Amino acid sequence: MNGIGYKIKKGILYLLLILLGATCLLPFLLMMVNATRSGSEIVTSFTLIPSTHLKENWETVFSFFNLFKGMANSLKVAVPATALTAYFSAMTAYGLAMYKFKGNKVIFGTILVFMMIPGQLGLIGFYNLCTKLHLVNSYIPLIIPAIAAPGTVFFLRQYVLSVLPPSLIEAARIDGASELYSFHRIVLPIMSPGIATMAIMAFIGNWNNYLLPMIILNKNDKFTLPVMMATLRASTDINANQGAIYLAVAISVIPILLVFAFFSKYIISSISAGAVKE
Amino acid sequence: MNWKKVVSVLLVSAMALSTAACGGSSESGSNAASGDAVTSGTENGGSAAASGEKLVVWTLANDLIDFGERFQEETGVEVETVVIEPADYPTKVQTALLGGETEPDIIVGEPQMLEDFYDAGFFEDLDQFGAQDYADQIVDYVWEVGQSSDGVQRAISYQITPAGIYYRRDIAKEVFGTDDPDEIGKLFADYATILETAQTLKDAGYRIFSSDAEINYFSGDSAWVIDGVLNVDQARYDYMDLCVDLYQKDLTAYANQWSTPWYQAMAGEVPILTADIQNYADDSVNVWDAEQFEEATKDMAKTEVFAFGLPSWGVLTMRDNVKDTSGLWGVCSGPSYGFGGGTYIGISSQSERKELAWDFVKFCTLNEDTANWWIEYSEGDTVSLIPVLEAHKDDANEVYGGEKLYAFWLQQAEGIDYSKVTRYDKAIGDAWGNAISAIKTGEKTKEEAVNEFYDVIESTYPDITVNR
Repeated sequence: MNGIGYKIKKGILYLLLILLGATCLLPFLLMMVNATRSGSEIVTSFTLIPSTHLKENWETVFSFFNLFKGMANSLKVAVPATALTAYFSAMTAYGLAMYKFKGNKVIFGTILVFMMIPGQLGLIGFYNLCTKLHLVNSYIPLIIPAIAAPGTVFFLRQYVLSVLPPSLIEAARIDGASELYSFHRIVLPIMSPGIATMAIMAFIGNWNNYLLPMIILNKNDKFTLPVMMATLRASTDINANQGAIYLAVAISVIPILLVFAFFSKYIISSISAGAVKE
Repeated sequence: MNWKKVVSVLLVSAMALSTAACGGSSESGSNAASGDAVTSGTENGGSAAASGEKLVVWTLANDLIDFGERFQEETGVEVETVVIEPADYPTKVQTALLGGETEPDIIVGEPQMLEDFYDAGFFEDLDQFGAQDYADQIVDYVWEVGQSSDGVQRAISYQITPAGIYYRRDIAKEVFGTDDPDEIGKLFADYATILETAQTLKDAGYRIFSSDAEINYFSGDSAWVIDGVLNVDQARYDYMDLCVDLYQKDLTAYANQWSTPWYQAMAGEVPILTADIQNYADDSVNVWDAEQFEEATKDMAKTEVFAFGLPSWGVLTMRDNVKDTSGLWGVCSGPSYGFGGGTYIGISSQSERKELAWDFVKFCTLNEDTANWWIEYSEGDTVSLIPVLEAHKDDANEVYGGEKLYAFWLQQAEGIDYSKVTRYDKAIGDAWGNAISAIKTGEKTKEEAVNEFYDVIESTYPDITVNR
């Protein structure tokens, strides 16, 4: 180490990183501060000093809806949907990457094409289908389609190719493991960092999903969190609700933070574990 | 301490937060109508079980929650009100009704959505229930907005939203020697007079408007589209010139509508910003940050703003923001008649309980008791039922120097000619507004901007003939 030069370099790096971190976190600090301020304070001024209206905002939010009910509803949708996305995408990706069969390329190409079609296009048809199947006002149309996640499959296929040596699977076969057994016991653990990354994305996507729940759900007590929060904006006097909106958003971010904290630990540990072995 | 860990956790959480926030923070337009903010959901009402009857209301404004609760109290019919954000309301209704949904009995719409809803057949014909018997009880323009192009009544609103000029009485007295609404109205009688008024006020040390968008509600005195042909008449150009003059001759306080200094101007003294600050070319002053704003503008000249142009729901917006100038305001008519917003209630054509739904529509819009209750409950919203407006015509509003606002709004609403309103108004008006902005900032010449406006209309609505 050559002393001062190294320290200065490191100091600058840390300073830059801290600045970057602060820039990223500032909007969230603002959000939390605004959650404690009244609507008219928010539209007429801007400050980082918390105000005293937290309780009023809380009461406003809860006079519109039960925020925790919304959270529970969102969890009911997001957790199964994320689990399905993760499991089935991993399976598909593994299949596409490791098995050689006719049409493999065609299927993969089709998946790529579907990645590019925006889902909103078939909305009316989808609603029609749900009416015929009596699935309006149910969470099933929000959860089951999560099984097909082209983007996730695409990402995980590339990931499997890079982390999984085919000889590992061959070894398992020689030892008499069935295909499913080797997928569950060998492939899944090796893929887990990639799956965790995609699961975070999927969870955030499902948690924040607004359009589909807004269309499919027609009952106040079935609304997921984003749909509930949007009703605050339907208020007759939008300004009065600004603080309440900030509070609701601040609270709704907590589960995402928890999920992220949990999965990110997993990603970091897995990545370093792999790095040492190779 | 392990700093690496701390920093990485910080960064990771920052990343999570920013990903999370992208989904939830789209700003919705100011679809505010009026009324009280704190209300509650109406599901699972108790008394309904007895009668076993139930109505489902899909709405975009919270007002109907209160109406629903009151209907439930009085009739025992359970009312389930589902509130959907205004920006997404058309998507929701279109998807559901085209998908064959029979659940909503009552659907609503704002004026700009209504024609599309009528054409799609979403609103049931109200004439079959005898709606025409009530035709003379509702303010004319509201009645006409609720009719589809074939003249069938399909929706009715409980409120009127005519636009007016809100002005400072004390400044009026000082500069013009009178604060009488009729006299002040003359100062806003046409675009040329407004420009003169603005100059007089500037010479006296005041500014006429806070932003240059205040006469937007009064900008249209002819229809944008007549028989499928785009119609840009002289008044549109006059309005364009007025906006450009207000801006270039330094006659406003250069605030943007709905921004911090715009609200502050309601309560009194504000600094005169510059054009560069308004369009963010000069970022030395942050108009969204009060403290920094105060610091950066303390050397700037201060002024007080004379007037705001807002629809009748502005009565409530102003009331909440005027602070010390309460009582010093008045309302007068603008250069033409105009209106903005309003929630129109109708029956879904796929409802299975249409008779009951009609009772609800009647209760909300045609019932004098409800209208009286609503005036009191919303603390000053303007209803559409003529007998009630007349009964309240002597109500004095203290925020506005004791002016009798209901009589005034009724008179303004009677002047609105709805035949000048088309479904294209919002899109075309926005495009025209963009052209005006481009000219006033000198970004484009008038000719370039107008040509671009024509291009935009041609590509947005291929079925409209554009004669340049």
